[in-house]
Amino acid sequence: MKEAKAPSGYSVVSLIKTKILSIFLNLVLIIFSLSCIFPLVWMFYSSLKMKRVFNADVIGLPKSPTFSNYIKILTNKDYHIFNSMGNSLRTTVISVVLIVVFGFIVGYILSRISFKGNRILYALFLMGILIPIHSLLVPIYVVFNKFGIGNQWYTLIIPYVAFGLPIAIFLVEGYVKAIPVALEEAAAIDGSSFTRTLFSVIFPICKPILTTIGIISTFACWNEFSFALVLMKNPKLQTVPLAMTQFTGQFSSDYPKIMAAMLITMAPIIVFYFGFSKQIIKGMVAGAVKG
Amino acid sequence: MLNSIRPKTRVILAYLFIPVALYVFAVFIPLGTAAFYSLFKWKGGPHKTFIGFDNYVALIKDKIFWESFSHNIYLVVACIIGQIGLAFIVVLMINSRLVKFKAIHRTFGFFPSTISAVYIGFLWLMVYDYKRGILNWFLDLIGKSDSTKVWLNEPSLVMLLIAIPLIWQFIGYYMVIIISAISSVDTEIFEVAELDGANAFQRAVYIIVPLIKNTLLVCVTLCVAGNMKAFDHIYVMTVGGPGNDSMVMALYGYTVSFAQQNMGYGSAISIGIFLTSLVVIGGVQLLVHVLTKEKGEKI
Repeated sequence: MKEAKAPSGYSVVSLIKTKILSIFLNLVLIIFSLSCIFPLVWMFYSSLKMKRVFNADVIGLPKSPTFSNYIKILTNKDYHIFNSMGNSLRTTVISVVLIVVFGFIVGYILSRISFKGNRILYALFLMGILIPIHSLLVPIYVVFNKFGIGNQWYTLIIPYVAFGLPIAIFLVEGYVKAIPVALEEAAAIDGSSFTRTLFSVIFPICKPILTTIGIISTFACWNEFSFALVLMKNPKLQTVPLAMTQFTGQFSSDYPKIMAAMLITMAPIIVFYFGFSKQIIKGMVAGAVKG
Repeated sequence: MLNSIRPKTRVILAYLFIPVALYVFAVFIPLGTAAFYSLFKWKGGPHKTFIGFDNYVALIKDKIFWESFSHNIYLVVACIIGQIGLAFIVVLMINSRLVKFKAIHRTFGFFPSTISAVYIGFLWLMVYDYKRGILNWFLDLIGKSDSTKVWLNEPSLVMLLIAIPLIWQFIGYYMVIIISAISSVDTEIFEVAELDGANAFQRAVYIIVPLIKNTLLVCVTLCVAGNMKAFDHIYVMTVGGPGNDSMVMALYGYTVSFAQQNMGYGSAISIGIFLTSLVVIGGVQLLVHVLTKEKGEKI
């Protein structure tokens, strides 16, 4: 009897132990997840308060929620909020398309076509991954000023594409290597030109890696701040992060208003992220690890 | 590289010209320009005086520059411990069979890393704010009103307070990278280890760490490169203050060049940033290369 009981007693204890462990683990992780998402929630309900209400109670829910902060921001043209979103959108879209297309073409050529200087060019682009880009902050301002191409609608596209290219080329080069050459040979025998093979045979095969590149560059361009800060003095052409620093400087004491502006300008990224979070996480991780 | 598919040379040139030109223009020309102007005393106007290596002599003696450099290193170390270390612990917990909502933890945890550092800076500014900050509100709540302070004005605390937002922002990022590394390992190994009586701690240190060593090293290099370029959220939160207690290299170069209009010296600082970062990032990558080659594993 004793011997039979012992194991069951032991298993009850271990069952309780497991239960406690399970509660503990889940609780810690829920706190972790909430800490990552709570700021968003806090910003949202706080943005529905008036400044005075918020200053009196920073954490409580609004008793009489109001959209007046949003209405003020959306109706006042001086804030440049919509303007800046348009600028960010244009800069990001053009930069990402160019990074993907150029990265694809250069990566493919460097991986497949032998010519003098192929390896040198590859090394040159690889260096771009290693070069501390932030050391270019001041020099790039000097160069752009000298050439008179600062403060234009296309100004930021140049560094964004240049800084996004190395990793794109590196990823495409590695990806193309794994594609059998027989594919292109067959296309060539069928009379397909280089350009046609490139875009109608290879391009579709490379879609997964190009999607990864597109995702990484989208976030990088949309969120970029320091180069926009030195290259963009014209308030009408500023991108979102830059416009936000001006906006908060102007309303430094009005937190609910700042929160409303932050949420409006974050909205595209939030929608994009929660709409495609699986692909985005996968793409970002793939890009980071391979790079 | 086969000849049957090789196009004419001018076709290749035509395809390569724009991207290569763009890249050289935005990366190498600025570097060359900075090297050139670093030899001048130049306030940004039309007049400049050649002074040889005087700017570099000043840079080597410049206490603020080296202080900024040490702050970058502080951030690197704090983030390697904080981001990768905490991420690893979170992953160990999340991989437990007992945990529910794994996908939601991943989605939520990753979210902050997709937001601009500028926003992260504003958010934490609101946390640290004296009158309306969450931190002081919390201290009031638990009855420790006397320890509330103007947090970002504390010279001894400011670097830690600057590091916390960075750590918080990227835990989820490294968490996801480590999860994907572990999930590519055969789970039988973990089950066998569990049956053999290895406890959770032993399993983590002796089995998981060696198996995903290469991924962890990749995380370290990402962490180093990311923190050597710290700028955005510090610009928003403290602009390097109080004094220069949270100054980092990129911000110092920016301040000297634009706020003090000292473009000649600013160029020398840029070259200084370039060299020091290259040594640190390159050094770490070399170290990682040696460490990963040792065992002949593949990433």
